[in-house]
Amino acid sequence: MAKQQTEVRDLQEGSYVMIDDAACKINAYSTAKPGKHGSAKARVEAVGVFDGKKRSLSQPVDAKIWVPIIERKQGQVVSVDGDDMQVMDLETYETITMRIPEDADVSPDENIEYLEMEDQRKIV
Amino acid sequence: MFPGATDEREETTAAADADRGGHTDTRGRASDRGGANFVVVGAPLDATTTFQPGTRFGPQRTRSHAAPFDDYDHRTDQRFSELGVVDRGDVRAWDDVEAYLEYLTSALREAVWDDSVPLVLGGEHTVSLAGARAVEPDVFVCLDAHLDLYDAYDGNPLSHAAVTRRIVEDVDSVDEAILLGVRTGSEAEWDRAAADDVTVVPPEDVAAWSPGDRLADRDVYLSVDIDAADPGYAPGTGTMEPFGLEPRELRDVVRAVAPDADGFDVVEVNDRDDGQAAALAAKLVREFVFSHADG
Repeated sequence: MAKQQTEVRDLQEGSYVMIDDAACKINAYSTAKPGKHGSAKARVEAVGVFDGKKRSLSQPVDAKIWVPIIERKQGQVVSVDGDDMQVMDLETYETITMRIPEDADVSPDENIEYLEMEDQRKIV
Repeated sequence: MFPGATDEREETTAAADADRGGHTDTRGRASDRGGANFVVVGAPLDATTTFQPGTRFGPQRTRSHAAPFDDYDHRTDQRFSELGVVDRGDVRAWDDVEAYLEYLTSALREAVWDDSVPLVLGGEHTVSLAGARAVEPDVFVCLDAHLDLYDAYDGNPLSHAAVTRRIVEDVDSVDEAILLGVRTGSEAEWDRAAADDVTVVPPEDVAAWSPGDRLADRDVYLSVDIDAADPGYAPGTGTMEPFGLEPRELRDVVRAVAPDADGFDVVEVNDRDDGQAAALAAKLVREFVFSHADG
């Protein structure tokens, strides 16, 4: 999986993080003061990028954590077939098959923007 | 740990070595997590107490005074230890109230996301704002001697004397507050209480009060400020106000509201008595759990 390691302290709202092996986008980040006996801790609330599930974690700010590498890509819809569509990557001209999201209305020749991490994709 | 609950406090070397009495932060998601119906979180905030301080000792004292209670509840035929209560320790407090509330809200929201009912042990009443932010109720039901409707007390909008105002006005989901046992407030607070989104039930009317179907199909947060009780029964609190409620009146309100409640707290317990306030608080936590589980 495309990911890189960072420290919890470097996370911020709007950035990505791996929680329970799922790529998530952070929507809340808060830190606690350490006091005399503990280490400063951070709490992260996030939503799965590809599954929409809410997840949270609590870790010391100096703990190592994985951040997924998610690419934002441009594509053009080549054809629509039922619930699937053929999309051409406008950078590599590679054609891929994607499931059409329930709330999306796409048509051939339309340009779309999507997030990609390995074989997971999501229209923005 | 709250007696009868499962210990889910974070295991830290410092906590073990220093015997911190549960003063650990709530831990993060773990692989063995799941199945909790109720999550106890201590919130020992003691930053804006206006008369006698000591609420920083509330969570620890409430837990310790729950020790003598029987596991078995005859009224509902249930055992506390079988109701899925976990204790995640305290979210240690510091003096930046706004930052603390943000962090506490996040910890409580985790319980809500896990479909658990948070049970917050205060701490000053300000911690209810975190509970309400996490639960996002439609209705805030509160047992309290005070209106707590100051817009700001001594210039502080996050004072414990302003917590009901913050919840009613700043938590978007909240439509109304029902305040039971209130017997004091400033003139400006009483003016604010006259608005349609606040209902005040004075102490003499609490015994006859019933939610009826007012809470049905609505999200409810129940807060118990222990000073709602007459100071004779709960002297261990910071701003005692005479002519208060009998313990059985508090109990009956908790029993009536608990089945509809999605979050609960008991706050303003301090260490300035021989345990009366903490014992009452601990018993009300158990009454809430038994009634919610039975409802």
